[in-house]
Amino acid sequence: MTILYIDTTTNYLYSAISINNQITGEIKAKLDKDLSVFTLPKIKEMLEDNQVDPKEVDKLLVVNGPGSFTGIRIGVTIAKTYAWSLKKKISILSSLKVMALSAKKECTYKVPFIDARRGYGYAAIYDENYKAVLKEQYMSIEALKCALEHLPDNYTIITNTPIEGLESNCEEYDPNFAKIVEYCKDSVELNPHAVNPNYLKLTEAEEKQKEELI
Amino acid sequence: MKDVKDIYVFAIESSCDETSCSIVKNGKEEIATVVLSQIDIHKDFGGVVPEIASRHHVKNITIVIEECLTKANMTMEEMDAIAVTYGPGLIGSLLVGVEAAKTLAYLYQKPLIPVHHISGHIYANNLKEELKFPLIALVVSGGHTELIYMKDHYCFEKIGGTLDDAVGECYDKVARIIDVPYPGGPTIDKWAQLGEDTYHLPLPLNDDSYNFSFSGLKSAVINLVHNEKQRNQPIRKKDLATSFQNTVVKIISKKTMKALKDYQVKNLIIAGGVAANHGIRETLTTLCEQENITCSIPDIKYCTDNAAMIAASGYYAYCLGRVGDLDLNPKSSIILK
Repeated sequence: MTILYIDTTTNYLYSAISINNQITGEIKAKLDKDLSVFTLPKIKEMLEDNQVDPKEVDKLLVVNGPGSFTGIRIGVTIAKTYAWSLKKKISILSSLKVMALSAKKECTYKVPFIDARRGYGYAAIYDENYKAVLKEQYMSIEALKCALEHLPDNYTIITNTPIEGLESNCEEYDPNFAKIVEYCKDSVELNPHAVNPNYLKLTEAEEKQKEELI
Repeated sequence: MKDVKDIYVFAIESSCDETSCSIVKNGKEEIATVVLSQIDIHKDFGGVVPEIASRHHVKNITIVIEECLTKANMTMEEMDAIAVTYGPGLIGSLLVGVEAAKTLAYLYQKPLIPVHHISGHIYANNLKEELKFPLIALVVSGGHTELIYMKDHYCFEKIGGTLDDAVGECYDKVARIIDVPYPGGPTIDKWAQLGEDTYHLPLPLNDDSYNFSFSGLKSAVINLVHNEKQRNQPIRKKDLATSFQNTVVKIISKKTMKALKDYQVKNLIIAGGVAANHGIRETLTTLCEQENITCSIPDIKYCTDNAAMIAASGYYAYCLGRVGDLDLNPKSSIILK
C-alpha cells in the first residue's frame, strides 16, 4: 500500500510517501509565501526520487486544517483533484491531531498550538490516548493558558511559534510521519468532492453579518 | 491532403466568484462549459467577499471539472493541454484553479497553459467568429476598462485604460448610492432605457488620451444625490440612470472610435461583462456601421467570466508554445503581453 501524505496548513510543506508501512520519502520545508509555487513540484520530485508513479499511489492523507486559510486550500485542492482524477482513496486529518501525534516529550497531555496572530490561535488538548479533552478550537492565548492551569497532570505544547511565558513547556513541531501515517492510515475514506477545508472560523464578513443579526 | 489533428483544450477559470471549466476544440468550437456562479452568496454582502469566494472555489472545483467532462462525454486523457487563468484577479480564488490545473497537468502529463484573464475576454469573440487583425479590443468589466491594439494573435498592446475605477465597478457603486441591490449594473442599464438624460453629468477625462477615469463621475453622482436630499428633492432614479449611462457610453465610444481612427483599424472587439450593456453595445455598433468598421461582441453568455474564453485563448497560447511549469504562481495583477 502506497500512501501520500500532504500537509500545507502552516507556512511549511510537510509531505511524505509511505510504502508498505515504511516512510521512504519526506519533505519538511519552510516555504512561507512560496507554498503555492513549490508544493506540487516538490511532491513530484519526492515521488520521482522514490520511483513512484503518481498512478501507483493508493491513498492520500491530507491535512485539512485548521491553520492558514490559503495554506489549507493549497493542500486540499491538490489532494482532492488528485484523488478524484485518478480515483484514489482519500482521508482528511486534523492539523492539531497530527501535531499531537508528533510530540516528543513524554507527557500526559499533548497541546498542539497554531498561532493565528493578534493573541489568538488554534489549539486543542489531547490525553495520552489522543482523545481530545479540549476539542480543537480558535481561542485566545489567555483562554488556552487558563485551560492549561487546570490540567491535572504534565503537558507539552507542540508548536512552531512558542507561547510567551510558556516557552519552557513548548517543543518545536517536527512531524513524525511514521507515527502519523500508522495512526491515520485507516481513517474514514471520503468522496473527493466532499473533501473540504476545516477552517474552524467564519470569514470576517460572515462574523460581522452574524453579529448584526444578533 | 495531410490530416490536421484537432486540438482540445481543457480550461479552468476561477479569478473571481465563478468556478468554471470548459473544453474547446481548435480555439473556436465550444464542446462543453460549466459555470458555477456564487452571485447569490455574495449578494448578501453587497459585493464579492474574497475569502468567501475562495472557500466556495475549493468546495466546488472537482465537481465542476467532473461535470464538464461528463457534459462533453470526454476524458482528461483526450485533452491536448490544460489552460488556466493565472491572473489578474482575486489571489485566493485564482490559487484554487491554478493548483487544480497544475495537479491535472502533472497527473496526465499535459502541457500547462497559463492564460491572462483579459486575453480570455478578448478571445471570447473567437468562439463566435475568428478574430481578424489588426483589431482594437475594448475590454469593459467589473475589474477592467482597457483599450488594446492587436496586430496578430497574442500581440497585445495596451493603448489605454482606466486610471481609477473600472466601468463595471462604477456601475455597481452608482447603483448602491441609489439603493439598488448588488450587482446593480444590469438594473442601471435597464432603467437607462426608460429615463431621460435630465441630470447632465460631466464627461470624465474628456481629453485626447485613450485613458478613462470614472471615480470623478461616481463622486458627481454622490454629490448630486446628496444635494437633492438636502433640498428634499426626490431622486428620479430612472433619469439618473439614463444620465449616468449616457455619460459613460459617450466617453467610452469617443475614445474607442478615436483609437480605431488613429490606428487605422477596421475591426473592433468588445469584451468583458459590461459588453452585455445595451447602451455600449448599441452605440458602438451604430458608430462602427457608419464608419464601415466590423464590430464584434461575444454572445451574452461569454461576456461574463467563463472558462470557454480561457480555453479559446489557451489554444493560441498552446500553438505558440507558451507553456507554463508546475511552479506557476497566480498573480493578482499582471501585464497582458
